[in-house]
Amino acid sequence: MNRPSKLKMAAIHAGLMLTCMATLYPVLWVVKMALSPSDSLTLTVNPFPESITLEHFREVLLGTDASGRWLFGRQLLSSLVVSGATTLVGLALAVSAAYALSRFRFPGKEGGMQTLLITQMFPATLMLVPIYSILEKLHLLDSLTGLVLVYATTALPFCIWNLKGYFDTLPRELEEAAVMDGASPAQVFIKVVLPLARPALAVTALFSFMTAWNEFILAATLLNDPTRFTLPVALQRYVGEYKVEWGKFAAGALVISAPVMALFFALQKHLVGGLTAGGVKG
Amino acid sequence: MKRLLALVLLATAWSAQAAGDAAAPLKLWHAYRGGEETAIIQVTQLFTAKTGVPVELLAVPYNAYADKLTNGIPHGAGPDVFIFNHERLRNFHAQHLLAPASKLARGDYFPNALEALEVDGQVYGYPMSLKSLALYVNTKLVPTPPTTTAELLAMLPALSDEKAGRFGFAYENGDFYFHAPFLFGFGGELFDASGKATFNTEGMARSLAFVKKLQDDRFIPQEITGALVKSLFNDGRVAMIISGPWFAGEVAPSVDYRVVALPTVSETGIPLKPFLGVEAAYVSSQSKQAEQAQALARFLSLGEASLVRTTVGRQIPADVAAYQLQAVKDDVLISSFREAAKNATPMPNTLEMLRVWEPMKLALRAVLQGGTEPQDAGALADRRYRALHRERPPDASPLPWLGLVGVMAVGGTVWVMRRPAPTLPFKRRYPDVALAATYLAPASAGILVLVFIPFVVGLSLSLFHYEPGQYSFVGLANFIDILASRGYSISEPLSFYFTLAVTLLWALVNVVLHVSIGLFLALLLKDPLLKLKGVYRVLLIIPWAVPNYITALMWKGMFHQQFGAINGLLVALGMEPVSWFTKFSTAFAANVATNTWLGFPFMMVVALGALQSIPQELYEAAEVDGASKWTQFRHITLPLLRPAMLPAVILGSVWTFNMFNIIYLVSGGEPGGGTDILVSEAFRWAFQRNQQYGFAAAYSVLIFVVLLAWSSFTKRLMRASSEVMG
Amino acid sequence: MSEVILSGIKKSFGQNLIVKGVDLQVREGEFLVMVGPSGCGKTTLLRLIAGLEQVDSGEVKIGGARVNDVPPRDRDVAMVFQSYALYPHMTVRENLAFGLTLRKFPEAEITSRVQEVAGMLELSHLLDRKPKALSGGQRQRVAMGRAIVRRPKVFLFDEPLSNLDTALRVQMRGELARLHRRLSATMIYVTHDQVEAMTLATRVAVFNGGILQQVGPPLELYNRPANRFVAGFLGSPAMNFLEAKREGSGFTGKGFTLPCPVDVPADAGKVLVGLRPQDLRVAAQGPLAGTVDAVERLGFDGYAFLSTEAGPVAARFEKGTNVTVGDKVSLAPVADSLHVFTEDGARALRHPVDRDSLEVAS
Ligand SMILES: Nc1ncnc2c1ncn2[C@@H]1O[C@H](COP(=O)(O)OP(=O)(O)O)[C@@H](O)[C@H]1O
Ligand SMILES: [Mg+2]
Repeated sequence: MNRPSKLKMAAIHAGLMLTCMATLYPVLWVVKMALSPSDSLTLTVNPFPESITLEHFREVLLGTDASGRWLFGRQLLSSLVVSGATTLVGLALAVSAAYALSRFRFPGKEGGMQTLLITQMFPATLMLVPIYSILEKLHLLDSLTGLVLVYATTALPFCIWNLKGYFDTLPRELEEAAVMDGASPAQVFIKVVLPLARPALAVTALFSFMTAWNEFILAATLLNDPTRFTLPVALQRYVGEYKVEWGKFAAGALVISAPVMALFFALQKHLVGGLTAGGVKG
Repeated sequence: MKRLLALVLLATAWSAQAAGDAAAPLKLWHAYRGGEETAIIQVTQLFTAKTGVPVELLAVPYNAYADKLTNGIPHGAGPDVFIFNHERLRNFHAQHLLAPASKLARGDYFPNALEALEVDGQVYGYPMSLKSLALYVNTKLVPTPPTTTAELLAMLPALSDEKAGRFGFAYENGDFYFHAPFLFGFGGELFDASGKATFNTEGMARSLAFVKKLQDDRFIPQEITGALVKSLFNDGRVAMIISGPWFAGEVAPSVDYRVVALPTVSETGIPLKPFLGVEAAYVSSQSKQAEQAQALARFLSLGEASLVRTTVGRQIPADVAAYQLQAVKDDVLISSFREAAKNATPMPNTLEMLRVWEPMKLALRAVLQGGTEPQDAGALADRRYRALHRERPPDASPLPWLGLVGVMAVGGTVWVMRRPAPTLPFKRRYPDVALAATYLAPASAGILVLVFIPFVVGLSLSLFHYEPGQYSFVGLANFIDILASRGYSISEPLSFYFTLAVTLLWALVNVVLHVSIGLFLALLLKDPLLKLKGVYRVLLIIPWAVPNYITALMWKGMFHQQFGAINGLLVALGMEPVSWFTKFSTAFAANVATNTWLGFPFMMVVALGALQSIPQELYEAAEVDGASKWTQFRHITLPLLRPAMLPAVILGSVWTFNMFNIIYLVSGGEPGGGTDILVSEAFRWAFQRNQQYGFAAAYSVLIFVVLLAWSSFTKRLMRASSEVMG
Repeated sequence: MSEVILSGIKKSFGQNLIVKGVDLQVREGEFLVMVGPSGCGKTTLLRLIAGLEQVDSGEVKIGGARVNDVPPRDRDVAMVFQSYALYPHMTVRENLAFGLTLRKFPEAEITSRVQEVAGMLELSHLLDRKPKALSGGQRQRVAMGRAIVRRPKVFLFDEPLSNLDTALRVQMRGELARLHRRLSATMIYVTHDQVEAMTLATRVAVFNGGILQQVGPPLELYNRPANRFVAGFLGSPAMNFLEAKREGSGFTGKGFTLPCPVDVPADAGKVLVGLRPQDLRVAAQGPLAGTVDAVERLGFDGYAFLSTEAGPVAARFEKGTNVTVGDKVSLAPVADSLHVFTEDGARALRHPVDRDSLEVAS
């Protein structure tokens, strides 16, 4: 590699900065709305707030209900529980299924993979009614468990695809070496395969987490207890029949996005390698 | 010892009694915010104090409220009492969600409020508050409010100065709810004698011509939204607006205003008659404590409750007695709205009313955005109405279908059995079957129950026709209607084929943009000597982390014609501002821009990973061979990226194909449904056009078929590319 | 008891029969090398012994017990993979200890064994590194160490040296030989490199196309190849084959006549005459003649590659002989050096008398 010229570097930086600005502009707007004293949709070109108040954040974060319970705290907890459990359940199910699809030969394997993709093709809006009935049969209405199960399974097809793709790229010989070293199938899986698949696990976990973290229609439909609402449900409360409380909505949106952004930040090293495509060795 | 025992006994006795006495709490659902929520909380506390019956409140996000009710109540998971506007009454009634208001005394309420809640002579729900439109006037700018349209028109030129961003008048003129007063004021009718909707009327044309002229004369702004009305009024840049009681809480303290009834149309002598909306407390048909639930609902609508709701919640009470109270009498705002509501027509709670909205909106926007003359708009609306209004197709016999399923099952079994016996025993061919089964079982069970069964149910719904409360089997009628493009010519927006073409174009353009931008950025970021790489990368994946409904709302605002950032930028660059949602091309472009912003980070990350997997030696070898950068890109990067990018591209295309949020929230299908894609069309049929679930399901099945074809095509692509790779 | 007995082993993948019925006995403590061209099924056979693949038919016995249905971990064999297959997420120490940990060895035992093996393979200073931070040779030693710590009955090696450079390969070859002496375990070693086969093996098994061609001590295979394939596969440069017909007291072929050894039956008819290049000298006069296409000088002597009427032929020349490309030269075989095979090469008809002093090809 010969040293690139200063000019080229400058051009690259300029290009990237421009894209970053375009990327950040709408986000700055949300920040502006969250920090502006008014509660309305501000329609101006300037993405920086003219005056700053933390009032919206205060209301979003510190609001209490009639009986003085700190709602945000409970809803955050509920969100964390639901998303965390979804991630765990989803990952556990996806990891084992993906491993089987990647490593074992069995009839109907191709068909199974196709089916997974196919489930992604049916618009989700129409699934609400049947899902509700099924959860009722399972006595899982108004329970976080039911929500977790639905989220985990709806995220499964993508998770399985991604993990299977990654497992496919892991050299089989490592597993065979472990078998020769005396590992049982479960040990091979836990001690060799899983540690090796860390990047893909991280990304897949992030996806399951996001699925659960951002969803609100199902959560709002299923849950009947405001202290167990997940944060997006709480956020949607600012969108009323006649008006939207934009300032609070924006503040809430930022609060909700923050953990996901933090996760992205923490996992960004894995992100590149952990998506199926990234794992494919050329 | 004895004392302790006695204490324990006492305690158990007390708790047993408490458990026996304490009535199970009544569940009350609402979607209130702010003052209204405070009021409802206080009111229920009053009720509990009076009757000893505890009430459990649940505030539901409005967006999910109706779904929650229609799903919850039939499954016994709903509330005892819920508060909702009367617009959906007929729908709820058809689904048997409502119990008649048994403790209701007609004399307690205004007659037009009761009328709104009546179905077949029976009143459902206790009317709580009235919602209707009135004129808010900035008293600094307009000391004496206009009482006729002639007066209004006379005032407007002095109050308006478009260049300075000042307007005499503003209201959400693209929304039929706000146009209805004009329609009625100009003598228009919504329904003919037989109760069917009519559009092509004299009043329609005249009212449209009137509002169009207001806009053409620049007395009112362009593309008005609620947010715009609010910010203009609060900034003192608009003198008069039309809005409802809910707006009072939004007016900035610095603005002096008063509320008056809407003016009378000078030509006809009829006042501008807004719709009357009635918010009522309904008792669920499934309530286990019907008596107490009725008592609660009644309590909410009358007396002390009314007073609290008026003073704290700023509602316009629907009970007559409330207006005798001094506190209410003194309240100028409340009594002005009461005055305004006297002219109001109760919005019909019929199913036919629900069919009016979309054609009306189409006509309104067609006129306001130009291109359609007011007198032609009625016909336009009428056509849309007839296309959307589907008579229930004749019932079909499910027998042939059951037969078909049977034959398929038998055929499948025979096919499996008759396949040439494999040379190796099963156990040999698949030594790991048992292990595979254990690994797969949990995921398969989950997917089967929560993904696959709903999916099959969804598929089979497409053979049914749904009218609130009942499904009837109609065979392929839904598909025939869609594929024969009933109501539209093939090349017209909203015909299946047009929507399909838009959808394909949408998916194609998006995927191409996502991939090329993602790849371009990945190539920039790949440079090993680049500084700040990590920072750029983090900033560039931010859009991925933002929930996409938030993204969509942001972008929608940015594309506003007069106040949006995009046009601001265009103007700053010396270009003409663009009215984004009035033309197909620009509306489509706006959707694409939003979705591109949302989608490129995923492709960028995938491309970064894929680029990393290309061995550096290949480039060095090419360099030695004297290949130019472009040649290297063409002959090394692209072919080697292909197998790594392809799965992501396929997945991306499926996601884009079904990317409902963006279309729905950014362009909303404007103009006239032209930018709707198949999923948003399915959504409209399911949730906005009288819950035609069957028809929506048929759309979904067609979407599914298209994607299936696409995926088998891409499977071939994948196979080809993996052959390339050996 | 750690002999390995394969009888009638067959294995196919899909429609392709890869191992076509192999019978082979590997004796206890033996260093058996399997050679054969790439793709002939050596790895597959090794994996069948390891239990990583299931035989379609036939029987695998280890230490006298039939193990067809015994899972790999209970067969007490260790395998060193061509790619080493070191666990990238574990340090060298963990890599070495993994098999013992899984078998629940006591901590102290594990430590001492790992120490011992690390010492033996000069890995002691690398124990805390991850495989990524090791050189090729070091990785190779870790891979061997991982097999050795477990002290299995049988070692399986799949081309363990093929990824190393020549110098390292020679060094590791020596170490392997030492290791075998020291552990005196049964070792089965797969390679496609005949030099490894000749130098390491107690016995060599030559495979081609999924069929065992011949088994025996290296020199026996070199001196008495059972068929044309074995003859051609072992020895470098490869043996020359000349088509000939027995006529009177000689073999006649295109442009040559060679004296026929007495032990070839008179009715042999058409045959294939095999002559190792080492047994064919560039000389002033001889029964074969050809044009020199290429010359390989190895210092002390060298080889000339010629085209003759009977086809390409390699021959040896001594230091001091002047051979240049384009020369027409004559070739003379050394006395009693003819191998004779049936016309199709399937069977040897005679070999020269053993000459133990004969050097093995370098
Ligand atoms: N798992 C497998 N599936 C299908 N074919 C295989 C498999 N393993 C090996 N083969 C085929 O078997 C043949 C022999 O392979 P291998 O035993 O690896 O040869 P060698 O080690 O002698 O080079 C090759 O043609 C290879 O393509
Ligand atoms: Mg091999």
